[in-house]
Amino acid sequence: MTAIDTEPRTTTVKTSAVELTGVSHWYGNVVAVNDVTLTVGPGVTGLLGPNGAGKTTVLHMMAGFLPPSQGTVTVGGRPSWRNPDVYRQLGLVTERESVPGHLTAQEFVHASAKLHGLKDAAAATAKAIGIVEMNDAKDRRISTYSKGMRQRTRVAAALVHDPSVLLLDEPFNGMDPRQRLHMMDLLHKMAEQGRTILFSSHILEEVEQLSGTVQVIVAGRLAASGDYRHIRRLMTNRPHVFTIQSSDNRGLGAALMELESVSGVELEPSGLQVRANDYGTFTRTLTKVARDKDIRLTAVLPSDESLENVFSYLVAS
Amino acid sequence: MSPHVNLIETESLEKRYGGTVTALADLTVTIEPGIVGLVGANGAGKSTLIKLSLGLLEPTGGKIRVLGLDPLTDGNAIRARVGYMPEHDCLPPDVSAAEFVTHMGRVSGLPAAAARERASETLRHVGLYEERYRQIGGYSTGMKQRVKLAQALVHDPELLLLDEPTNGLDPEGRRAMLALVHRIGSEFGISVVVCSHLLGEIERICTSLVAIENGRLLRSASLSSMTQHSDILMIEVDDGEDALSERLSGDGLAVRRKDRVLMVTLNGDNTFDMIRDAVADLDLSLHRLEQHRHQVADLFREEASHV
Repeated sequence: MTAIDTEPRTTTVKTSAVELTGVSHWYGNVVAVNDVTLTVGPGVTGLLGPNGAGKTTVLHMMAGFLPPSQGTVTVGGRPSWRNPDVYRQLGLVTERESVPGHLTAQEFVHASAKLHGLKDAAAATAKAIGIVEMNDAKDRRISTYSKGMRQRTRVAAALVHDPSVLLLDEPFNGMDPRQRLHMMDLLHKMAEQGRTILFSSHILEEVEQLSGTVQVIVAGRLAASGDYRHIRRLMTNRPHVFTIQSSDNRGLGAALMELESVSGVELEPSGLQVRANDYGTFTRTLTKVARDKDIRLTAVLPSDESLENVFSYLVAS
Repeated sequence: MSPHVNLIETESLEKRYGGTVTALADLTVTIEPGIVGLVGANGAGKSTLIKLSLGLLEPTGGKIRVLGLDPLTDGNAIRARVGYMPEHDCLPPDVSAAEFVTHMGRVSGLPAAAARERASETLRHVGLYEERYRQIGGYSTGMKQRVKLAQALVHDPELLLLDEPTNGLDPEGRRAMLALVHRIGSEFGISVVVCSHLLGEIERICTSLVAIENGRLLRSASLSSMTQHSDILMIEVDDGEDALSERLSGDGLAVRRKDRVLMVTLNGDNTFDMIRDAVADLDLSLHRLEQHRHQVADLFREEASHV
């Protein structure tokens, strides 16, 4: 890995939160976003939802492209609609990839710096290009870039004025594995500097790696928000499923079945499937039961705790 | 299908476009039956390999054989036995899925009646029911992907080439598509070569993996060999990581901490018992105990760190 060669002048930036209060948006009779209240603070947050759930509408309202039909949208405490000042602290990377191919990255990012009216546009350009690690290719035309390079160029243009809030709509689309890892590193670094980063994605494994904090929108409504592991714990009506491997699966299964906190046990080729209706008690008791029976635990896997499971529970309910 | 016929075999395969761009340079690889993931950076040569396999392009050097046949001389025979799902949007908007898939069946050589029956059956397999009589132009991305898969399957091929089948799908759509691909590979016994950038998907459905880089072979291996266990145990408890870490270190184990996860080096089966007893003694909630596996992504992480 090459380090960022243009070290940001300030390692921490001013932090701003994005807040939606009772926000709805409708297109004619179609309600795209329905009474959503949420706050996105510093760090990386994933914005999730099925196709057509209203993710892009939410991002566009945050970016001041659309007015809320009802409610208020603020960035750093000030409304985003009809408030050009908001762009001093906000950057947006849209889903649609539209970059002028006849420009170089240098020219494109510099144009963005000038549009923001930055005093030292050249220095800001150099810094933004450094952050996305595009120094080597910055003087080639954008039309010759790979998808990941174009995406990074767009991020640089959105970053050039050192915004405290960065919104990204499907930033990983079409990127190859290495470009994905690179972009994830980049978002992480920017979040560590105190920026508020909100990105939408369909690839739940990646959201899981990048951030535990999610905002889930289903059919225009906020279905859940926060750390997905906590969200899972709150779904007390669904038993937690664990896959356990041990030196004596059958013996352990029999012993676990005696516990109040266990509602079902199955012997599967992959191991013992245990459904626990009381998460706290079960996870606290398991090791003690195993020790009493002198059974060696070689694996304990929560098998429905992944973001993918949590998401499918939210969408189904 | 004879299990001894390799899906795709190449020897020093080379493809240059014009005089300047080299898409494939000296690629030698043997792809055996199964569900095979084909990965590589953008521009590594994946699409070129697929086009060469279908006989749509001519190699500028080396050899390629598909199902034992030469794509240059037996292109038609290969296309009759291979189904191809392209990445880009390639469907006509103004016909129904039923008409389109029937048409593609006829193009592949099925008689009219058989093509209609197969189209109906295939569309049902991929999960398109009444919608099939509507025009494709009004379909969602997920439905379009299903039509693309159905037209690749309609002539009952031996080998299916899928280029980014989950592109543009939402989580539910991806889950359904992956389940379908896995079913085609395991239950229908059709070999599948699937291109994807999402290594998690490859890990989930594939039996082996071929990685190409700059037109050359980077790695070809079975998935199980790439995702082997390492000797690191990962432990997650709810609160009390510090106490547990201290206790296990005190017991003489090598403990590292990474965020919420404790990584303990496995030192004989006793390690398992020491962890179990430590968690029980400290009255902690054991959330996860798992032997660390290597990931396909490690292939690219190692590479990236060399750059």
